[in-house]
Amino acid sequence: MSSRLSVAAPSGVSGAEGAAGTGLDLARARELFEKKITRQLVTYFHACAHCGLCNDTCHYYLATGDPRMVPAYKADRFRRVYKRYHDWLGRLVPRWVGAEELSEAVILELADNVFGACTMCRRCTVNCPMGVDMGLLARAARGMLDALGLTPRGLKATVDVHLQTRNNMGISGEDFVDTIEWLEEQLQDEVGDSRARIPLNKKGARMLYTLNPREPKYFPLTILAAAKIMYAAGEDWTLSTNYWDVTNYALFSGNDEAARTIAGWLRDEAVNLGVQEVVMAECGHGYRAFRWEGPNWLKASYPFRVRGFVELMAEYVRDGRIRLDPARNDKPITYHDPCNQARSGGIVQEPRYILHRAAADFREMNPHGVQNFCCGGGGGMLSMTEFAERRIRAGKVKADQIRATGAEVVATSCHNCLDQLMELNKHYKLGVKICNLCEVVAEALVL
Amino acid sequence: MPEIEYKDKKIEVDEDGFIQDPDLWNNDLAEFLARMEGIENMTEDHWKVVNFLRNYYLEFGIAPMIRKLCKETGFTLKYIYELFPSGPAKGACKIAGLPKPTGCV
Repeated sequence: MSSRLSVAAPSGVSGAEGAAGTGLDLARARELFEKKITRQLVTYFHACAHCGLCNDTCHYYLATGDPRMVPAYKADRFRRVYKRYHDWLGRLVPRWVGAEELSEAVILELADNVFGACTMCRRCTVNCPMGVDMGLLARAARGMLDALGLTPRGLKATVDVHLQTRNNMGISGEDFVDTIEWLEEQLQDEVGDSRARIPLNKKGARMLYTLNPREPKYFPLTILAAAKIMYAAGEDWTLSTNYWDVTNYALFSGNDEAARTIAGWLRDEAVNLGVQEVVMAECGHGYRAFRWEGPNWLKASYPFRVRGFVELMAEYVRDGRIRLDPARNDKPITYHDPCNQARSGGIVQEPRYILHRAAADFREMNPHGVQNFCCGGGGGMLSMTEFAERRIRAGKVKADQIRATGAEVVATSCHNCLDQLMELNKHYKLGVKICNLCEVVAEALVL
Repeated sequence: MPEIEYKDKKIEVDEDGFIQDPDLWNNDLAEFLARMEGIENMTEDHWKVVNFLRNYYLEFGIAPMIRKLCKETGFTLKYIYELFPSGPAKGACKIAGLPKPTGCV
């Protein structure tokens, strides 16, 4: 792996070795490309004026200074193909306008670019005067590449395992129940009430709660924290053994069919249980995928409400359903906004409302909220081990932001961000504690 | 694919440091991987966790739930997180020679 970020060497993309000089079906690629070119994308292709305002919105560019990391340059890896076939100058004198045929080299460079050098965080998008949605461009390109078998191994495996086992870590029903029952006992010990429950498959419960598979598999304390909060609020909730996964990595692979299937499973289970609301565990992309993208994939609105757990916790605090003692979290604490919750999901005020009441010394990062920087782990980047080195390098922007706050604790409301922040903590020797927002709230709970 | 130098041998790992060929795993390599995770001395308790993970993986082809790990070793969650500061997946499983898990890790 070269030390410099390189878009010219697409060695990171699985299948790239096999594809180079061999059987990539270019006719099929062209067909897929045309299918992906929606009216929206065409607008973006025409709208980008190469003004350069996106330069320093991108954490990849800021961390490397490599001009090939500028979002407009990255978007052009896609646009130059469009020009070759749809722009009259591009058809007549392609070289003059930088148009490129859809060749193997062009496809592999595009793959390296949209999978390995963009977290689909959309910070460039909200700062683009023309409104070019780079996240959407990257996803469209990823969808085409996915159909060509060029999705990086770890990302593909995560979607495949999800489709095969109904959760992205392949956890069996038996193991899931065993873990939840164990946590229920711990909950009872902790709150000193043998009637405290983590309900399973409760028909007609008000609310269905979902989990990120890494919670039952490796980090169950967040389930315990959430259950404790729900216990304190007297919530009528349930988990489901039939379908419980909050994630949907097809948002990242660009595979709409898979995305629809996964969103459909959760929708169907919510309908089956007859709940009024589905609450997404602290998971940035899962929240965005189900709440904001799901109805488009399923071509129908839901007969229930969808919220993130952060929103529900804020409501509990506002309505006095839980009481918090900020003195219990007395260390300086900052908050990392998951891009898919803040920028792409509209959850900005709620975590602040909570933290001002759950902690004694809350400090903002600069910038934050809608303008917050990606941790570097978005877009499924954490699963694509090929790009681990780049991911850590690009995360320097976030590491610097954290350091500047002087905080000793970093809270976030996304398991994926959490894992990347833990790696940044180790690599950049930040010496902070990283946790989920619900853990901060659970710590402050006055029962 | 990157490689690590270990006892004059080159071993293929992915960019996150997970070994690619589980058959190359042995106790010496585990100690070497542990040092890369900042664990200088593998204590008896470290081995208890690593050996359980390893044997479970060889039998079932998947990493065990943390619940099983606690039950079988008799250790608390807190203690396991203390033993392996990088966590059960990126710490313990990596040292035990298991592949990188799917999902948000």
